[in-house]
Amino acid sequence: MSLPSLAADVRAFGAAALKEWRLLRRYPTLFVGFLFWPIALPLAYVFQARGYAGDSAAALDAFAARSGTTEVAGFLFLGWAAYMWISMILWGPGTALRTEQVRGSLEALFMTPVSRLVILFGPVVSQVVWAIWMFGIVAATMALVFGVEIALASALRALVVIGVAVPALYGLGALFAAVVLRYGEVSALVQGVRGLFTVFCGMSFPIVVLPEWGRAVALALPPTYLIGDLRRVLLSGASLAELVPSLAILLGLGLLICGMAVVAFRRTERYARRGGSLAQY
Amino acid sequence: MAAIDAAELRAAVAVARKELRVARRYPLQLVNEVLQPLYQFLLPSLLLGATFLVGGRAIGLESVTGTADLAGYLFLGTVVGGLVSAAFWEMAFGLKREMDAGTLEPTWLTPTRPDTVVLGRALSGLVIAGGASAVLVCIGLALFGATVGQGLLLALPALAIAAVSMIGVGYLVASAVLLIREPNFFVDATNFLFAVVSGVAFPVLVLPALVQPIAYLLPTTYAVDLLRVYALGTRPLLDPALEWGALVVLAGLTIWIGRVAFRRTERRMRVRGTLGQH
Repeated sequence: MSLPSLAADVRAFGAAALKEWRLLRRYPTLFVGFLFWPIALPLAYVFQARGYAGDSAAALDAFAARSGTTEVAGFLFLGWAAYMWISMILWGPGTALRTEQVRGSLEALFMTPVSRLVILFGPVVSQVVWAIWMFGIVAATMALVFGVEIALASALRALVVIGVAVPALYGLGALFAAVVLRYGEVSALVQGVRGLFTVFCGMSFPIVVLPEWGRAVALALPPTYLIGDLRRVLLSGASLAELVPSLAILLGLGLLICGMAVVAFRRTERYARRGGSLAQY
Repeated sequence: MAAIDAAELRAAVAVARKELRVARRYPLQLVNEVLQPLYQFLLPSLLLGATFLVGGRAIGLESVTGTADLAGYLFLGTVVGGLVSAAFWEMAFGLKREMDAGTLEPTWLTPTRPDTVVLGRALSGLVIAGGASAVLVCIGLALFGATVGQGLLLALPALAIAAVSMIGVGYLVASAVLLIREPNFFVDATNFLFAVVSGVAFPVLVLPALVQPIAYLLPTTYAVDLLRVYALGTRPLLDPALEWGALVVLAGLTIWIGRVAFRRTERRMRVRGTLGQH
């Protein structure tokens, strides 16, 4: 790729992100949703945990022994924050393509000379703002309502964990986008995968409570490492050195998924061009 | 008048049959009615519960509710959760789908009253929710060790009365859906809060003191409590006789308020000509 072409792609990337941001601003109820869910969803599980603990110290000790922390609220808020971020990413690229398809502008978009990365991830960049907003709300709620202290060094380590998880999660988003190009409708698949992550990746529980086969499934899924590592750095004060093995696995899974996404996307695009199905839905 | 009411009832049943016929065309969606509560709520909740088990027993839950049957407690909660969901999504948000499809205005031009059409949607929603709940309870019994007693049958009238209440609530939410042009978040959030505050997922006793009075105003709080009292032997929130009384009073109130609100909203939209706008 030549330098001028790269610069043009970067400009196109910025333009796509700006367009999506402007569209988001037109729907103010979305802002309320992004304030409501990061608090309401984990809070319901915190109340549920209180119901499970009751007034039994032994039940709380059992939780601490299995999860490695006594911070029940922090444990649940971090798990569900990760879930919401993952949901955004899974829906992001595929939904952006699907929206263009329904509007009738997808074919025109593919006729432009920009890189496919711009088409796939340009619109998703605006969601980074929401991700930062959501993690900010979760951190504020944990600190102000539940008294969970988050040191600056721990927060920075959490950012590193999030950064390492990006290739795996955005790779998954790109894989879903390939499915959109091939089959048009993706919501049932996204629901299924979200369900798989919810059941196996430990959003609301430590994976040690899963049966052995369930733990094996969990350890093959990137969100398990993201959630586990976020909890370890923010709630148990783990250093990055302690996380190297799991971060390496997360990065490896990310590279593998990104590779699969590139192959799948190229193949489906070629299929759609040959069959003339890009505008069909 | 009686003849008109009979005709409206026939129309409501016809709308319900039409909706069920449409639902049958999407079998995967019907399967999802069972799968979604399972993976979105039940399994994460059960696994969180497993984290608090001591010697395989839910002693913490037992200390609050009087039962250690974690699976039974949660699976019975989803039965009432299904009722709430039917009112909010099938009955109320269904109007938004009709708006988007452009069929709401033509439907309301027919001689059938709009609230009858909404009632028909409620009936079909309740049938689907009832079927899904029955399957979920069977799954709870067969796979997760729930031990629901025969007392469950004693609580079925409570579910029927709560269903009447939820039709009233559905009318209220439908009024809001007609007025709000982008009601997705409103329906999603209020559905979630209604179910959570009713104690579908946990005992209402663990809610903050400020929120608990709201729980006691919701008919579903009593429905889910009576269901658990009879089927699992949990400690009731109030004297069961009082809970039955509250259920009946709330059913009358919500139906009356809901229908009045819906008719006023409908008249307002007809006068302003905003029915086709969304």
